[in-house]
Amino acid sequence: MTSNPPKTDDLGAWTERVLATDLAEIRAAERDVLTRLRELAYDDDHLFAVRLAFEEALVNAMKHGNQLDPSRSVRIAYRISPERVEIRVADEGTGFNPGVVPDPTSDENLEKPCGRGIMLMRCYMDKVEFSPQGNEVFMVKNRQP
Amino acid sequence: MKIRTNTEGLCQVVAISGSADVNASALLREALLGAIEGGATRLVCDLTETDFICSDALGVLITAYLKATGRGGFVKLANPQPHLTEVLETTRLNRLFDVYADVSCALASA
Repeated sequence: MTSNPPKTDDLGAWTERVLATDLAEIRAAERDVLTRLRELAYDDDHLFAVRLAFEEALVNAMKHGNQLDPSRSVRIAYRISPERVEIRVADEGTGFNPGVVPDPTSDENLEKPCGRGIMLMRCYMDKVEFSPQGNEVFMVKNRQP
Repeated sequence: MKIRTNTEGLCQVVAISGSADVNASALLREALLGAIEGGATRLVCDLTETDFICSDALGVLITAYLKATGRGGFVKLANPQPHLTEVLETTRLNRLFDVYADVSCALASA
C-alpha cells in the first residue's frame, strides 16, 4: 500500500491482493472476507456492516479513483482476528478530499442518486481513515462496540 | 439477485430477492426504469427477500422514484428487513420513500 505498509503484529498477518479495475472482481473479494468472518463466528450485523463498507470502498476505488480504467489496479489488504477486522483499499487515482464531500443526508441532497458511499462506510465501521492524498482508505470494525 | 414482477391492479409489484449489490444494480435499473418507460409508474418494491443493498442500488431506487413521481406515479418500498431498514434510516431515505410493513399495505395506500 502507498502509506504505512501492512506489517504483521498481534492481529496476525495481512492478506494482500491486487484486483483489476473490474466491478465483477468485487464479489470474490467480499466472499473471501466474509468467509473468514463466518469462520470466526462474527454475527450477521458484523457481516452486513463489513460487506457494505468494503463494497463501497471498492466501488469508490474503481469508479472514482481509477475511473474504471482497466489498466489500473486496486490493492486490498485485510486482517481479521476474533476481536477486530481491518481493511485497506488503495487505488491508483489522484485522490480526493473526503472533507468536502456533501452530506448526503441533508434535505437538499436526499434526491441525489450518488454520494452515499463514504457516509455508509463511516456509519457502519468503527474507524475510517483516508490517506493524505485520499486514494487509500483504512477501516476498522471491532467485534465489541 | 433475482427480480420478479407482477401486476396488482394499477400497480406493478417488483420483488427483489438476494443482494442488490453494485453488480446487480444494472438488472435493478433495467427492471425499474424499464417498467416506468413502459408506462408503469405506480411501483411497489417488495424487499422481503432483499438481504443486502449498496449505495449504487439505492441510487437506482432514487432515480426510479424521481422518474415515477415526475410522471404522476410513485415508488413505494414494502417490508424491508432489519438491515435494510437500518440503511434506509441511516441514509434518511425513509424520509424520501414511503415504507410499508408489507406489500398489501403498500397497495392499499396507492
